[in-house]
Amino acid sequence: MKALIQNAFKIDPGSDKRDLAKTVLILLGLMVMATILSKGIFLDLNNIINLLNQNAILILVALAQFLIILTGGIDLSVGAITAISSVVIVLFQDLGLGTAIGLAVLISMLLGMVSGVLVTYRKLPSFVVTLAMMQIIYSLSKVLCGGAAVYNTLGGGEINEKLLGFFGGSFLGIPNPILVCIAVVILISLFMRTSYGHFIYAIGGNYNTAYFSGLPVRYVKVSVYILSALISSIAAILFVSRVGMGDPNTGQWLPLDSIAAVTIGGASFSGGVGTVAGTIVGLFILSVLNNIMSLLNVPPTIQPAIKGAVILIAVYLNSRKKQS
Amino acid sequence: MADAKPILKLSNISKSFSGVGVLKGVSLALSPGEVHCLLGENGAGKSTLIKIISGAYRPDSGMILYQDKEVVHMTPRWARENGINTIYQEIDLVPHLNAAENILLGQEPLKKSGSIDWKEAHRLAMKIFDDMGGSVDMGVPVGMLKIAQQQMVAIAKALSMNSKVLILDEPTSVFTSKEVDLLFRIIKDLKAQGMAILYISHHLEEIFQIGDRITVLRDGCLIKTGAIGEFDKVSLVKAMVGREIDFTQRVEPAAKGEVVLSVKNLTRDGVVENVSFELHKGEVLGIGGLVGAGRTEAVRLLIGADPVDSGEILVKGKAVQIKSPLKALKLGIGMVPESRKENGLVGVRSMAENAGYSYVEVTARKGLVNWKSVKEKVYGLIKKLEVRPQNPALKVSNLSGGNQQKIVLGKWLAADCDILILDEPTRGVDVGARTEIYALMQELKDNGKAILMVSSDMTELLTQSDRILVMSKGRLVSEMTGKDATEEKVLSHALQLGGGVQ
Amino acid sequence: MNKSLNISRTLVWLGRYSAPVALVLLFIFGAAAVPNFVSERNLTAVLFQYSVIGFLALGQLLVILTGGIDLSQGSMVALTSIVTSVVMSRYGLAAGVICGLTMTTLLGVMNGLLVSRTKMPAFIVTLGMLGIARGLAMLIANAKPVPIKEAGFAVIGKGTFLGIPISALLLAAACVIIHYFLTQRRLGRYIYAVGSSEDCTILSGVNVQNVKLLVYSLSALLTAIGGLIWSARLTSGSPIGGSGYEMESIAAVVVGGGDLFGGQGTVLGTLSGVLIFGVINSMLNLAEISPFWQGTLKGILILLAVSFSLVRRPGESKR
Repeated sequence: MKALIQNAFKIDPGSDKRDLAKTVLILLGLMVMATILSKGIFLDLNNIINLLNQNAILILVALAQFLIILTGGIDLSVGAITAISSVVIVLFQDLGLGTAIGLAVLISMLLGMVSGVLVTYRKLPSFVVTLAMMQIIYSLSKVLCGGAAVYNTLGGGEINEKLLGFFGGSFLGIPNPILVCIAVVILISLFMRTSYGHFIYAIGGNYNTAYFSGLPVRYVKVSVYILSALISSIAAILFVSRVGMGDPNTGQWLPLDSIAAVTIGGASFSGGVGTVAGTIVGLFILSVLNNIMSLLNVPPTIQPAIKGAVILIAVYLNSRKKQS
Repeated sequence: MADAKPILKLSNISKSFSGVGVLKGVSLALSPGEVHCLLGENGAGKSTLIKIISGAYRPDSGMILYQDKEVVHMTPRWARENGINTIYQEIDLVPHLNAAENILLGQEPLKKSGSIDWKEAHRLAMKIFDDMGGSVDMGVPVGMLKIAQQQMVAIAKALSMNSKVLILDEPTSVFTSKEVDLLFRIIKDLKAQGMAILYISHHLEEIFQIGDRITVLRDGCLIKTGAIGEFDKVSLVKAMVGREIDFTQRVEPAAKGEVVLSVKNLTRDGVVENVSFELHKGEVLGIGGLVGAGRTEAVRLLIGADPVDSGEILVKGKAVQIKSPLKALKLGIGMVPESRKENGLVGVRSMAENAGYSYVEVTARKGLVNWKSVKEKVYGLIKKLEVRPQNPALKVSNLSGGNQQKIVLGKWLAADCDILILDEPTRGVDVGARTEIYALMQELKDNGKAILMVSSDMTELLTQSDRILVMSKGRLVSEMTGKDATEEKVLSHALQLGGGVQ
Repeated sequence: MNKSLNISRTLVWLGRYSAPVALVLLFIFGAAAVPNFVSERNLTAVLFQYSVIGFLALGQLLVILTGGIDLSQGSMVALTSIVTSVVMSRYGLAAGVICGLTMTTLLGVMNGLLVSRTKMPAFIVTLGMLGIARGLAMLIANAKPVPIKEAGFAVIGKGTFLGIPISALLLAAACVIIHYFLTQRRLGRYIYAVGSSEDCTILSGVNVQNVKLLVYSLSALLTAIGGLIWSARLTSGSPIGGSGYEMESIAAVVVGGGDLFGGQGTVLGTLSGVLIFGVINSMLNLAEISPFWQGTLKGILILLAVSFSLVRRPGESKR
């Protein structure tokens, strides 16, 4: 009975866990395959850490996308947010690293709020709003830095060494990017345990019911768009630290990749269903898949096709599941 | 003409939904050149019958004879193509296309080249309108026309398809009197041309104005059918009522407590007009009336789902502005909405979550949510309400209607609302759960809660209410105590037959 | 009643003609205020540049009229250019063109089948296809541009007839055909009907699934033609080209008065939408304003147009 009470807020824990178990199983299967193909190198700690490091940015963006999809929307502007954040961080680092990052985060949250308000208050479809916002944000980032990637600042100095060293650095033996991801995952999980987080599921599952139940539907929905933009801009910090520049054109593939990860993770496009854990597993499936392809010498250029196909298959299976 | 051979004959039609009989052996004959009126209270089975005739539902048993041939597998498409057209209140036209295009959709006249002959199309459409004696603007999409004009287009479309049977479902509910006159003239013309018309209306005057025959349904049974001359208003109402009501279930009226909710001249233009009443602590106040009388619209104003145009709402003596259900919840008002699936439940989430949403909102306002205590409270409620199966993590969409309704009720119990609005609390709920819900209402009453109940179920209204308000056409037309109320009284007020039938 | 009728008529008129009127006003403004705007060189440059988007927008219009969306157009431009250039380098001009058109149209048929036969939302299906088409283009081209050596092919991208770009003439022809199709043929009217009320259209005996299949296939075909012109202008096929073009075509349709929920939009409006962006772009260039502002302008125009189309939607303005 205690278990009953504890699990009361997980839908149908049986099926929820089964779904997650299935995706984990797929992940394990792919990992075994990768291990065999690489003759054991895959399981090397360095390789795994490398894999995580490479995907740190995408993990963050996928979580941002996850939150939006949970509300029943979609966010095509996640990549643009990372682009403008990266540009802002680099352009304004002379004001101090903290100020620059703070500014980037603030601008991103403001842009997220614009999308959120348009979707929530004007009831415009999220994909058009974020499509337009994507265009606007990319354009603004280009205006900010004149179109080219920015390596140094107004003062002409190099990118702040602290920031440059951050991506490669580690704390207590754990690489910093992984630490950031873990921190964000913990923060989101905590957020999901607040009443706001709890209400996201209600709003995504049935907006009208949430409204009639007296929930603060509009605030929650707008705040999800703000939070999502915040996470995307944290991803931009990792990006700048990794490549040492702010790039107004970066992140073009992030919407597609993040949607793929969230979909494989079992979230539903009609909203209200999905878990943070599922999203992360979904992302690992994608990245191990990439790893296997490179082990098999599949050219990396074909990856968009694989991702596109994976999205179609995952969504198709999801839509079949709902019908039955 | 009225004695002509029937074109459509239904015999012994029965239909039940999840074990509840909605139609029980109903027979009906429609002849060319007659206007056949179908009458009955809310829930008598009229709409189910229409849906069977138009092919939307398949009957469980019984026979449909159309033009002397038995129709076994009827679909909406088949019905349309074979001359049976239904014009519903929500008109199914293609909103972006203009009147002519809508009328001829799927049968556009073509030139030799295979392109559409627009001249001919407009001529055909104009001709139909001329024959009907009406006219609409062909230059705008029909979605921009007034509802009455849209209805005209729908009728014109039916005519263009060589309709032989026309079913009109409450056509005049949104009409002005001028528009009603025009519709009646059209109906008379069509009748003269040999159309068989099935006309559903609550307005008795209308029925006596254009009807030839009347069929009365009650509780899914055929009560009486006959020529218009055999009826008058009094006998019609008598035929419509007379449901057996077990008054031993009737609740003892509670001693009136203090006024917790007071409504003065509440108005939402065109929908709810000048509604005033008081709701006391520890009572069930029932609101009766016909579907479309503005009852749901009125209670929606009380939780801020629609804006109020004028009037006052006082909660516990204080004038309040309720702009959203969020505000209503703060004031301790909760509503169990009419449509569970659309407004009451989040189908993809667990029953515990659903029952807890409003409570979480209430506690979150006071600080951090203690999830453990929330879950325990909700689980306690699920046990108390005997929701089956008792697995709080079960997806709520997997529950039966009765158990779902208990969850919606549980949501407001958890939030501890003092004023509960129940809109059709037992619709689609099985008998067992219904009794449990009634018992729960009594218990709430005893605990000093105030309940406002909208109900189209006459038994429920008469047995569960301490007082009854009757609404008609957006206005409050009568108030009576539960003890004095009879089915006939409520119905004649709802039908606005003046002083009522004695 | 007359008043509400006037409002309805005004809204209908606005939906149909606000984009053409805006285009004319913009043009007059450009002629008066921006030096060198009305010059043969500038205007042909606009036509050269925007006829590709014009073809995409026509395809997008058909899809949007049914209430769908096609996000795969940009990648399809790249795929067409690559398939055409690769095949052309081995088997000649005709084979290249035919293969380019066929390959892309097949993907469009896939889009149509998935949207009409499954319950998957159009933007997901075409988002997936965006990835697939791009990946295929990369794979076939081995991620490198492929030069086109057939001199005759360049004509559709660079040639002029009586001073007018041939690509613009082709676009004009396509506009006339699509306009005729949408206004004079049954199937064309059914495209509007499907987007306006799918249920009612089904009841009227129209095969809605096939209408949807048709629009996604046509969208891909028109995109493929745009892709041919695009590669003819560059005289090469590029696997990375065309990205974001779907955005431009959606923008053109929406600014041209199309409604993303379906049922509303015209060829004239869409063409005006395309040219509005062309004219604005060239004015920005001539006025030496950073081209980087274009995206902002485009995004804002889309948001405004989408908000406005809510007001114009029949059935929602009522009540």
